[in-house]
This record gives sequence, structure tokens and C-alpha cells, in this order.
Amino acid sequence: MVQTEYYVALSAILFALGGIGVLTRRSAIMLFLSIELMLNAANLAIIAYARQWSAVGAQHALDGQAAAFIVLAIAAAEVAVGLGILVAIFRNRVSTDVDELSEVRL
Amino acid sequence: MNDLVQLASLAPLLALAGAIINGLFGRSLRGNAPGVIASLAVAAGFVLSLIAFLGVRAGGAVRVRFGDFLVAGDLNIGLGFHFDQLSVLMMLIITGVGLLIHIYSIGYMQGDDGFSRYFAQLNLFVAAMLVLVMADSFPLMFVGWEGVGVCSFLLIGFWYKDLKNASAGRKAFIVNRVGDFGFLLAMFLTFKAFGTLDIQAVNAAAPSFAYGAAILTGIGLLYLLAAAGKSAQLPLHTWLPDAMAGPTPVSALIHAATMVTAGVYLIARTGGIFANAPSAAATVVWVAVLTALMAAIVAIGQTDIKKILAWSTISQVGFMVAAVGAGAYWAGIFHVLTHAFFKALLFLGAGSVIHALGGEQDVRKMGGLGRKMRVTGTTSLIATLAIAGVPFLSGYFSKDAILGALLTSSPLGNYGGQILFALLMVTAGITAFYMFRWYYLVFAGEPRSSAEYERAHESPAVMTVPLGILAVGSVLIGYVGLPAFLAPNAIQEWLAPVMAHVDFDHLNTSAEWMLLLGSVLVAAVGLGLGYWVYVIGSGELAKRIGNTPLANASRGAFGIDRLYRGLFTEPGEGLAEGVASLDRDVVDRGLTGVSGAVPLLGRLLVLLQSGYVRAYAFAMVLGVLALAVVAALIGVLA
Amino acid sequence: MISLYVILLPVLMALLAILARGSAPLVRGLAFLGGIGTFALALFLAGSEGFNAAWLPGIGVNFALDATGAGPVLVLVAALVMIPTLLVAASRVEKGAAGFVALLLLAQAGLNGIFLSKDLIVFYIFWEATLIPGLLLLGIYGGDRRRQATLKYLVYAVAGSFLMLISILALKALSGAASFHITELMIATPALSAATQTWLFVGMAVGMMVKLPLWPLHSWLIDLNEQNHPSGAADVLGSLYKVGAFGFFAWALPLLPAGAERVAPYLLALAAVTAVYGALAAISQDHLKRFLAYGSLSHMGIIGVGLFGLHLAGLSGAIYFLAAQMLSTGGLFLVAGMLYHRRRSFSVKDYGGLAKSAPAFAAVSLFLIFAYIGVPGLSNFPGEFMALLGAFQTSPWPAAFATLAVIAAGVYGVNLFQRLFQGTTTVPTTDLSPLELYVLVPFVAGVLWLGISPAPQLRQIEQQASLVTLQLERVVEAQPGVPAVTLAELPGGER
Repeated sequence: MVQTEYYVALSAILFALGGIGVLTRRSAIMLFLSIELMLNAANLAIIAYARQWSAVGAQHALDGQAAAFIVLAIAAAEVAVGLGILVAIFRNRVSTDVDELSEVRL
Repeated sequence: MNDLVQLASLAPLLALAGAIINGLFGRSLRGNAPGVIASLAVAAGFVLSLIAFLGVRAGGAVRVRFGDFLVAGDLNIGLGFHFDQLSVLMMLIITGVGLLIHIYSIGYMQGDDGFSRYFAQLNLFVAAMLVLVMADSFPLMFVGWEGVGVCSFLLIGFWYKDLKNASAGRKAFIVNRVGDFGFLLAMFLTFKAFGTLDIQAVNAAAPSFAYGAAILTGIGLLYLLAAAGKSAQLPLHTWLPDAMAGPTPVSALIHAATMVTAGVYLIARTGGIFANAPSAAATVVWVAVLTALMAAIVAIGQTDIKKILAWSTISQVGFMVAAVGAGAYWAGIFHVLTHAFFKALLFLGAGSVIHALGGEQDVRKMGGLGRKMRVTGTTSLIATLAIAGVPFLSGYFSKDAILGALLTSSPLGNYGGQILFALLMVTAGITAFYMFRWYYLVFAGEPRSSAEYERAHESPAVMTVPLGILAVGSVLIGYVGLPAFLAPNAIQEWLAPVMAHVDFDHLNTSAEWMLLLGSVLVAAVGLGLGYWVYVIGSGELAKRIGNTPLANASRGAFGIDRLYRGLFTEPGEGLAEGVASLDRDVVDRGLTGVSGAVPLLGRLLVLLQSGYVRAYAFAMVLGVLALAVVAALIGVLA
Repeated sequence: MISLYVILLPVLMALLAILARGSAPLVRGLAFLGGIGTFALALFLAGSEGFNAAWLPGIGVNFALDATGAGPVLVLVAALVMIPTLLVAASRVEKGAAGFVALLLLAQAGLNGIFLSKDLIVFYIFWEATLIPGLLLLGIYGGDRRRQATLKYLVYAVAGSFLMLISILALKALSGAASFHITELMIATPALSAATQTWLFVGMAVGMMVKLPLWPLHSWLIDLNEQNHPSGAADVLGSLYKVGAFGFFAWALPLLPAGAERVAPYLLALAAVTAVYGALAAISQDHLKRFLAYGSLSHMGIIGVGLFGLHLAGLSGAIYFLAAQMLSTGGLFLVAGMLYHRRRSFSVKDYGGLAKSAPAFAAVSLFLIFAYIGVPGLSNFPGEFMALLGAFQTSPWPAAFATLAVIAAGVYGVNLFQRLFQGTTTVPTTDLSPLELYVLVPFVAGVLWLGISPAPQLRQIEQQASLVTLQLERVVEAQPGVPAVTLAELPGGER
């Protein structure tokens, strides 16, 4: 069995890549992509630990798998809503450049 | 017997009642009713004082307490009166002379718009003055003390429509307040030293302190400050000449007979402290003698009929204060008594003249009025001779007593008693001189202004009868204080039980006679000089030396008023302005400036709210990172 | 129970006043009833049994009121002052009189709560709550610069109270007291070290210094009085709400005596400065209300001197003066309002020679001015005298310096009277109307009452003042951890 640490390392790399994507990308779609990447990286870590716990025979394994499902569901919902907002914004202004969306401030 | 004496506690209440009746309802009363009511109140007070006098004569001092005033732990000051030989004597003076002046005022203030207001305030004054002398504790005395100050303010500025009069009242109040400051501090220090503010207790405990103890000296000097304010001694004398702006009977009552003697009373009352603090007592005498001398010099150069008398009062009160400072408390009070008669008489006579001339007060426009105003002229002459110290009149005996005290006072000897005696002798001579001048310029010689002379007429009986009574008093009252080596000195014996003990050198009989004759000589020289200058020389000498520095100093009262204006009034006003603008511009803005830091902080923080999604995202990442680091550290530590 | 009713009645009348806002006579009647009713209750307040109900038992807060000590005296005088003030509010406020009256009544309820509460948290709640009507009165009914004045008032008060709250909470937590009731706190606080007590005291002191007010935290008061409604009614409330001194007296000093001992000399110096500073600034003021603001600042300085001298006579005198100044300052503010009613100006230059056409007005004003500057026989003297006397016993030089304010007071008092009333008449003015006479009579009566017969009130105040001195004496003897005061020794200790 592949050791958990490798999964977690992969998850960390994916999370970091997603984070960099969030911070550097200007297109809203790419922002969503990066966020999805971060969410799935977290999911990967959760699943990896769930497998580790189940191998030991603890009860936490099921919790981990349930958590992964919830995260997936939330990610999906969030993307749906986000894309909806994005389309609404796109209708008003042609670009999806997030740097131009700066009305949320004092 | 005690109950009868205690009945005298009603005296101030009756005067207060008179004040309230006249104050609230006076305008609706017809004719002279306010004056009559006020006079009746004071007359009742006089009767009660007489009863108290007889009661104390028979049975000694009486105390009465009506309840508590200020209480807190050790502090227990009650509303109490103390009737002893000194206080009943003062009460008699206040109500007796006060009654005569009230009656006189009915004539003098006839037709004035504020007739009832005048009598209300005059009654209020009598009430406060009575409380002052009857009080058994310092705070209660202070109630009367400030009360007379308030009434003085009201009465000096009585004709307030002329702002000059109002300003004179204001000046009196403020200078008095400086003295009150001294009184307050003296009370605080007394409580600190003695643990009580009961007058009898303080006097009894004073000898237990070291002779000349610093704390006693401090208390004494502070009481001196208070007395100087109320009795118009250096340096707080400047209000009295200006106070002549008030109606003349007010000047007679308040600024001759009673209020200005409150300082003398105070020092006599606290004799126990001064007897044990010789340096404080000596300071009192020096201040008093210098004041007396200065005021006498100034009186020579004055041209207002009342201002001459005002400076004379300052000088004579200086005599009284010198006496009590030297330890001869009875002599000071004796002079209070005689001075009350002849000075009140002088003022009322002046008032009679002013009333007759329709308001003229400049002596240069008078002259020869004695021929047209016989009663006023004669009584004023008697008063002049009395104050000059002509033998067998009252002033002679009281002045002689004071001079003798200065010469023989044992503690004073260390502080220049002989010099002070000499200075006061000179002052007595000057007194005779300027009083002669006063009388001559007003009543004798040739009229200098025929218009005024024509207008002059004798005043109505309601004014001349009190003049007559006071004149009789000025002659006779001195006999209560005959020199001890010749005859029983009634007043000294009367006051002995309440006076603190001070050592006096004993003069042999020939020295005593020398003293008596010396006083006569001095008076003769003064009067003679006056006669020579004004009658024989028709005032030529006076005109010729009229521009010498001394004469100018005399006329301008040594420029002290101007000095105070430059030293205190103007800097004071400047300081007040300065504080006000300091508060407005510095303190206010300063703290508002500090509070300006908050918007500044806000504006800094607003920069975070850029609206850039990526900046927010970055912030979130940083936050998570920080949390992770903290968690790891805690994990490590745990 | 009277302690509770004296808080509830004004609240009830306030609500009724709001409901009756359509009818001016009804509002006037309710205002008058509210004032008289509270006053009547206050007459029976002293010595009545207290009120105690569990409120937040989890953190040790009881709604505890009691009528011993200085509280009832202050409640009574405040109630006396409120009667004419409510009348003025109901009659002289043009728009929104019902709201004005209601706010005054609510403030009075809050004040009574401050004076009577025996639980520290309840005290704090009333302390803060009474700020709100004051702010609203200033912000809604004030003058041109009311926004700035309100903001200033708010910031000063809240900043100070914030520190006070921290100290209050820390006090209970660190001392391990069973609840916030004063008797529990007094048993527990001696256990705190002197250093802790000092810090806690400083925290509480900052909040109370602002409300006293003490230089330099006094600027809010000047603008408050200047911008408040010209009738003067809100300023009367301002004079009543100077509760900083009471906070020190009833809470900070008895609970933290070791801290008080260390910090008091500095506060005493500040108080002495305040006394003289206020008096000097008052002398040159042309604006009548600013004049009164600075004058009462000077009075509060003397109260501070009395408090921080930590002497029994000084403490009693200071609180007595606090009550007395309600009458003199309040009365003069209403007089200022009456002058404004005639000439629409607060500038002293616009007046002069009024005594000729308005002699009764002049007489009453002079009476109140004399009371204001501490003439003996009138209300301010006993407290002023005892405050300075007490402070002098322990700290002569600061007290002597503060006494200079007496001279300055003489100057500004007669100066003001002269400029307003003496001299030749500029423009004739009407004398007191019947309403104005009824309004001023309680002040005159109160001034005479407090001036001539201070002893009964002083004795009541002494009950609480002696607590402070007792605690201070115990500071020397107490050892940490051992309760210095037993329950039985405290007034009302047998619960």
C-alpha cells in the first residue's frame, strides 16, 4: 500500500498550486479552477487519512469518507452559485478580469 | 438670668425679619414705613443687647447652642452664640449706633427710589454683624464676616445705575475676598493645630503651645490678613475710599462704626493666639501703625468731604489694630467704642451737608456753612475735637490708652515698641491737623462758593436729633475708660475676664502724667498748626507746598491703587484671558488631536479594503499560514 | 422598596409623556407629576429598606439598591432640582417637548440608580445608561455645533468608561469576591496587593475623572453646556450628572484604599489645578453658558480636592458640595435660559442694567450667584468649607492653592452680576413671569435649606464617608489574604 505521507505530500503540492493559481490568475474562470483544485487537494488528504484509519481498524475511516462527500457536494454547490454570479457580471461588463471587480469595499 | 441673656439670640433674627419684610413687601408700603420697621427691628435688638449686657454683668458669660451646623467626625461646629463681656459690648455698639443711623436714614433717603431696598439691606447688615460678634465658633463668625461683606457690596453699589458706584462695590467685595482667603486658611490651620474651631477652646488651648511657636505665628498672620481685608489696613485698604460711593449713612454705619472694626474684634477675640505668638502680634502693630501714618498723610491732601473721613477711618482703625496687636485688647475695643460715636457723627454731619447742598461733596466749594447749619456745625466741631484728642472728650482717653499700650507693651519692646509709639504720636498730631482742616474748610471761614452757601439749610429733626445724641456720646463715653492710675477704668475691668494676658511694663505716676500731657501737646500742635495754616495764613502755605512730592503722594494716596492695577488687576485679567484661550486652543484641540488619531487609524485600515479580490485572497492565505504556524508551535510545546 | 420606586416612577412618567406627546398641557402635567412624585418618594427614601433581587447569578450580579449613606441625600436634592427643570422643559421647549421631558425623566431614573445601587455592575449599567438621555438631549435639541459636541461627549465618556469596565471586571476576578455586591467586594479586595490595587484604581479613576470632570479631561463639559438647548434644562441635567465624584466616593476609594493612597496625591494636584483653572477661565468668558461651565468646573475641582485629601471632613464636604452645586449651578442655568428667552443671546455684552426693569429677577439672580460663589449661609458654603478644611489637614499646600479659587470666584461672581444687572439700562426687559417665579422658588428654598441646616444631611453622608476612612486605616494593618472588614461592620451588612 502506498504510504499516507505520499498522498499528503501530493495533496499539499496540489493545494499550493491551487493557492498560487488563486493569487495570480486574473480570469474568473481560472480562479474557480484553482479553487476547485484546492478543494480537491484537501479531499485527497482526507481520503488518504481515512484509508489509513480504516487499515488500522478505527471508526474514523467512515467519518473521513463522509467528509469527502460533503466537501464534494459543497464544492459543486459553490461552483454553481459562483458561475451564476459570474455570468450575471459578464452580462454587464464584457471582461471577466477580477481586477476590475473592485466594488466590494468601503 | 441665663434665659434672659439667651433671649438676645433673637436680635439677629429680628433684624433679618426686618430685612425680609422690607425686601419682599417694601415696595407696597407707604411713606416712611420701611424705615420705621427697620428702625424698630434694630431698636428691639438694642433692648435685647441691653438685657444681655445686664445679664452678663450680673452672672458672667453665657453660651447657647441651637443645633449642629457642620459635623464630620472630630469636626463638630454648632449654631451657637457666646455672650460675654466683649460680645455684648459690641452688640450694644452695633445696635445702638445702628439705631441712630437708621433713624437718620429715614430723613436722608427720603424720596429715594430704593427706599425700602435700602432699609432691607441695612437690616441684613445689622443681622450679619450681630452674628459675627455673637458667634462661638470661627466658621459661624465667618458666616457673619462674609455676610457683612455681601451687604457692604450691596450698599456701596446702592445707586447702581452709575456704574462707578457698582464698581466700587465690586472692588470692596473682591478685596474683602482676599481677606476671606486669609480667614479660611487661618481656620484650616487652626483646626490642624487645635483639633477644634470653637473660639473659647482655642483661646484656652493656645498657652499650651510653645511661646512663639511657628504654627501659632502662622495662624496669627493669616488672621491678620483677614482683619486687614475687613478693616482696610495695608495692603488691603484700597476699597474703603472708593466705598464712599455709597449713601453717607452707610459710610457711617458700615465704614466707620461697625464693619471695619470687625478686624479689631477678630484679633481681640483670638487674643489667646496672639498673646502666645509675639512675632505675629508685632507684625500686626507694625502694619497698623504704618497704615495709620500713611492714611493720615493721605487725608491731608483730599478734597472730597467723605474721602477725608474715609482715610481718617483707615488711620483710626490702624490705632485700634495697633492696640490689640500690642496686647492691650481693652484699649482697642475702647477706641472702637469712642470712634463709633465721633466718626459716625462726622459722617452723618457730612451727610447732612451733602444733603443740604444737593449732592455737593467737594470741600473747595464749601466754607462758612456752620453759620447756616448750626446743629450740624456744632456737633461736627465736637466730633472734630474728640477725634483730635482734645482733653476731656472721648477720643482723648482712648487714644491715650493706645499710646500708653504701645509704649509699655512688654513683648512689643523687642520689636521696636518705642519707635511705634513715636510714629503713632506723630500720627495723632497729623490727625488733629487734617481734622481741623476738614472742619475749617467746610464749616468755618468764608464761603468759597456763594451758590452752595445760599443753598445750605439745616437738616430736618429726624437727622439732627441723632447728631445731637452722638455728640453727647462723643463727649461722655470716654469716661468709661479713665486712665487707671487716676480713676477706676471701667472698660478695662469690664473686659478683663475675656482678655488674654500680656505683660505690660508699669509706668510710675510721673511717666503716666507725661504721657497724658504729651497727648495734649500733640493735639495742640496739630490743631495749632491747622489754625496757623488755614486761619492765619488763609491756606497760602498749603497752596505753596501743594506740588511737593509729599503733597502729590498725599493727594494720590501714594499711588497704591495704580500699583495694584499694574501688579494684580491687569495681570489677573491677562491670566484669566490666557487660561481661557489656553483651554480653548490648546487643551481642547490637543485632546481633539489625540482623538484625531482614531480617524487616522481608520483611514489607514481602509486601505485594506481595496476591493481587490486577489488582495483579500492573499490576506486569507496569510491568515491561514499564521494559524498553521501557531498551531504547529503549540503542538510542539504541548 | 422605595429605592426601586424612585427609579421606576420617572421611567413610567417618561413613557406616559411620550404617549401624551400630542397634548402640551398633558405633557406639562405629567412632567410636573413626575417631578413632584419622585421628590415625594425621595423624602421618604432615607432609612427605608433596600431592594435586592438576583439578576445574573451566574456571574454574581444582583439588582441591589439601598437607601443608606450619601445616596438618598443626592437623590433628594436631584429630585428637588428636577421639578422646576421639568416644568421649564415642558413649557419652554418649542418642538418635541414631550421627548425632552421624557429624556429628562429617564435620566433622573438613571441618576437615582447610580446613587442607590449597591452592586458594581448595576452601578456601571446605570452609569452608562444615564449617558444616553444626555447625549440625545444634546444631539437632538442642541445648538449649531451639537454634532461635534455630542461626538466629543460620547468619545470622552465611553473611552473612560471602557477602562473602568476592565477594572471592574478584573476587580472581581482577581480578588475572588463572591459577587459584585459592595459588601462582598469590600471583604475580598483587601486581599489584593498594593500594586494590583493601584492599577485597578487607575483604571476606574480614568472613567471617573472624565465624569468629575478633572483637568485635562474636561473639555467635553464646556461644549456640552454651550451647545445644549438654550432653555438651560438640559444643562441642569448636566450639573446633576457630574457623578464622577460619587463614583470615587462610593466605589473606587472604599474598594481600593491601597491604590487610592498611592494615586490620590496626583489626583489631588489635578483637582487643585482644576479648581483654580476653571475659576480663572470663567472670569473672562463672555458666553453665559460657557461661564457657568467653567465656574462649575472650578467647583468640581474643589470637590475633587475634598475627596482626594482622604480626610473624613473633606469626603463628607465634597459630597455635600456635590449636592449643593446641583441647586446653584442648575438654578443659574435656568436663569441663563430666562435671559435668552428675552434677548435671544447668551453674550453678556448684550445685557446690562437689567436691575431697573427687572428687580425681582436681579434679586433672585444675585442670590443664586452668591450661592454659586460660596457665600456662607447659602448652599455651597458648608461643602466647600469642609472639603478644603479636610484636604488641608492632610495636604496643606494643594488645599491652600485650591482656596485661591475662592478669590477668583468672588471676582467672576460680582463681575457677572454687575455686567448683567447693573449700570444703565440698555433695553427694558420684563421681570419674572409667574412660571419663572415658580421655577426659581425651589432653588431659593433649596439653597437656604442646604446652607442653614447642613447637619442632618452631613450625618447621612458621614455614614458612607466613614467607610472610606475605615478602609484607609485598615490598609496599614491588613495582611494579604485576611479580610480586613467583617460583614457586621458594614452598613447594611446584615443582609
